[in-house]
Amino acid sequence: MASRSTAGSALGRYVLVRFLLIIPTVFILVTTVFVLMRATGDPITAALGGKLPPDQLAELIHAAGYDRPVIVQYWEYLTGIFSGDFGTTISDNRPVTEILTTYGTATLELAAYAILVALVLGVPFGMVSGYFRDRLPDAVLRILAILAYATPVFFAGLILKLVFSVWLGWFPVAGRVSTGGEITMQLEGAGSGFMLVDAISTGDPEVVLDVLSHAALPAIALGLLTAGVFLRLVRTNMIGTLGTGYIDAARSRGVKESRLVRKHAWRPALIPIITVAGMQVAMLLVGAVLTETTFEWRGLGFQLAEYLQARDFVAVQGIVVLMAVVVAVTNFLVDVLAALIDPRVRY
Amino acid sequence: MKGTTTMSAIRGSRRLIAGAAGTAALALVLTACGGGSDDGGSGGGGGSAESLVIGTTDKITSLDPAGSYDNGSFAVMNQIYPFLMNTPYGSPDVEPDIAESAEFTSPTEYTVTLKPGLKWANGNDLTSSDVKFTFDRQLAIADENGPSSLLYNLDSVETPDETTVVFKLKSENDQIFPQILSSPVGPIVDEDVFSADAVTPDQEIVDGKAFAGQYSITSYKANELISYEAYDGYQGILGEAKTPKVAAKYFTDASNLKLEVQDGSVDVAFRSLSPTDIEDLRGDDGVKVVDGPGGEIRYITFNFNTQPYGEKQPDADPKKATAVRHAVADLIDREALADQVYKGTYTPLYSFVPEGLTGATEPLKEMYGDGQGGPDADKAKKTLEDAGVETPVELNLQYSNDHYGPSSGDEYALIKDQLEEGGLFTVNLQTTEWVQYSKDRTSDVYPAYQLGWFPDYSDADNYLTPFFLKENFLGNHYVNQDVEDMILEQAVTADEGERAELLGKIQEAEAKDLSTVPYLQGAQVAVTGADVTGTEDTLDASFKFRYAALAKG
Repeated sequence: MASRSTAGSALGRYVLVRFLLIIPTVFILVTTVFVLMRATGDPITAALGGKLPPDQLAELIHAAGYDRPVIVQYWEYLTGIFSGDFGTTISDNRPVTEILTTYGTATLELAAYAILVALVLGVPFGMVSGYFRDRLPDAVLRILAILAYATPVFFAGLILKLVFSVWLGWFPVAGRVSTGGEITMQLEGAGSGFMLVDAISTGDPEVVLDVLSHAALPAIALGLLTAGVFLRLVRTNMIGTLGTGYIDAARSRGVKESRLVRKHAWRPALIPIITVAGMQVAMLLVGAVLTETTFEWRGLGFQLAEYLQARDFVAVQGIVVLMAVVVAVTNFLVDVLAALIDPRVRY
Repeated sequence: MKGTTTMSAIRGSRRLIAGAAGTAALALVLTACGGGSDDGGSGGGGGSAESLVIGTTDKITSLDPAGSYDNGSFAVMNQIYPFLMNTPYGSPDVEPDIAESAEFTSPTEYTVTLKPGLKWANGNDLTSSDVKFTFDRQLAIADENGPSSLLYNLDSVETPDETTVVFKLKSENDQIFPQILSSPVGPIVDEDVFSADAVTPDQEIVDGKAFAGQYSITSYKANELISYEAYDGYQGILGEAKTPKVAAKYFTDASNLKLEVQDGSVDVAFRSLSPTDIEDLRGDDGVKVVDGPGGEIRYITFNFNTQPYGEKQPDADPKKATAVRHAVADLIDREALADQVYKGTYTPLYSFVPEGLTGATEPLKEMYGDGQGGPDADKAKKTLEDAGVETPVELNLQYSNDHYGPSSGDEYALIKDQLEEGGLFTVNLQTTEWVQYSKDRTSDVYPAYQLGWFPDYSDADNYLTPFFLKENFLGNHYVNQDVEDMILEQAVTADEGERAELLGKIQEAEAKDLSTVPYLQGAQVAVTGADVTGTEDTLDASFKFRYAALAKG
């Protein structure tokens, strides 16, 4: 039996190695973004070419340093990123860091709601599906799961909007909060960037419900995709776990079926969820671009679409780098969590 | 026993299903209770209940007049900054706004006297020093996104006392200068808040409360939400604001704006709903669609070097080239374009100066087509035959697929059909994205191409000077010295009657040359809740949408 110190050092080594792997991962991602952005020419010409006379354009290009050797630009780009300077947007002259912090909270909030929806829908229904394996509830839930992750997120968003906002009028059409709610929060000086937190800080339950009602449809649209994945995963693991020897042994000792599921089967079934969750972060960020655009949820995905339209590649570059870093760091955290829960993961 | 286990399992699983379904249902019910139609007065307390909510798809570049030259930014400036000269409701002609008087005191001196006791919302005095500062900084900063080019005729500004401003002009009797003071370069700024040599960030302006228009801004989130409050220190010709509090909400998706004006979350939607959305809204009893004259124009530009029979063509022939342009004017069916493509949000345009402006005439209506504004293929055929032009004429026609809205494709597909009527033209229709389009059109790549124009100020001059002088922004190699002389003359003609006559002659002469063939004039369209009033008052030929004219209930 491995001693605690041996297990501890294995975990420590595992975490250290995983942490160190972030560096080359991020480096490769950042370099790839740089190369792809430069492949289309300099960002100034892309954004302002045709709008300004050639001499003014040349002046701006020179001032921004895009006429210098690529290797020099690359070095400055790298040192800028690692010192937190992502440059200034071309289209609206704002520090990219400001864009990231202002709108990053909105995307984070939406992702949190989406994960919550995915867990609330995917896990219990996955358990039900696993329990009723090959029977009607299982068949129905499996079909729904496939529909959930096969439906493009923007299409799901549009359908939800059509049915629940336009036809039924149950939910708002777009935005993170109503105009009145936003004015109320501004008057109260709320400005954390997390709309729910700001709403709660006003002490007005109407504002809180207002925020939640605006979040419902985008969260469902974005969360459905992940919910479908979770449902299938939990189902598979439930089936596997319910067929193991220790469950049979517990059953033979007279443990109630409901207790078997609640106490013994569901935890092992959730372990793969944690590892898949890391991969789903990347899917959520991709989905967030379309969801945020559909619902005018002004987060990083929304801004990315806006800056792409404006050909503001400095801003696009900054947002994409941040998203890449978030995915890399999230996967690291997921790996650590998985190692904490399941010792077999460590080495 | 197995039976007992099965029953227990079934009960357990039923509880499981019920629990999961119940959780989901509860969440949906709770949020739906707080959601649904959220109008401007719901979802919070404070001043929000009194706010009139205006929705728009405009984009703000900067609140600093020196740093922006676009509709979105200027729309905000019209609410918050004072102007020396401005257009009263219902008129395209300017009058003194925060000025008591404004007149030429010598051929090159335009003297403005401010009203006494003017104040900024931050309590600072608004004096001639602010005015001088405003224009000096425009010229000093000369930002590439700014409107300083409109001050082409300004030499210097002097301030003999606290209420007197003397503009020293380079050319004499510039009748356009008063209009320029009402244009995007005209907003007066507070010298204690704005920087003298750099574009001032928006938040600094808002924090400094540098406002003296009908409204001041109480909270600001660029391109998301702006809250306005009526400013009681405004002393201009537009009068007091009808609504004390206004909120302007910015949308990127026009369809969301349409849905929110329908469900009452937005009280007034202005710029820019699609033609199909507007058509749909006209049938909705819950909203009102209000139309007014617009300043935007659409036209086809001919490159005089590369068009059929153009000057640089192997078969160059000015008479045939003119006949080709005339035939195009004979064939264009403006009514069809306005109805089928734009559902009435654009109206037929028969001149280079849009309807509603002083001096506008309609020479193209009588001179071309059936003489009543409609097309006439037989006339076009005769025009070409008389000039010895072989038909069909090969015409390369270019348009931008992204700059003038999503309907450009339909617009030019219909123009192509109209020109090919009777086999007189074979149109090779092409499209290019805007950045490349802008480069190509001034590099003689396109023989004939789409352009649009939105005015800087509500005067016929702004539709003539940029287009038909030798040095013009079209870059199409058109030169007519007589037209040029008349354009320069009208700009310095003080007598209104004489000026109107000159403007008529310019339009007649240009109608013969057809450097451009104008065909559509954009209407201003606002969609409001049924209980909103005052929209008709502000949809006028000033082309400034003033929130202060609007009221609810």
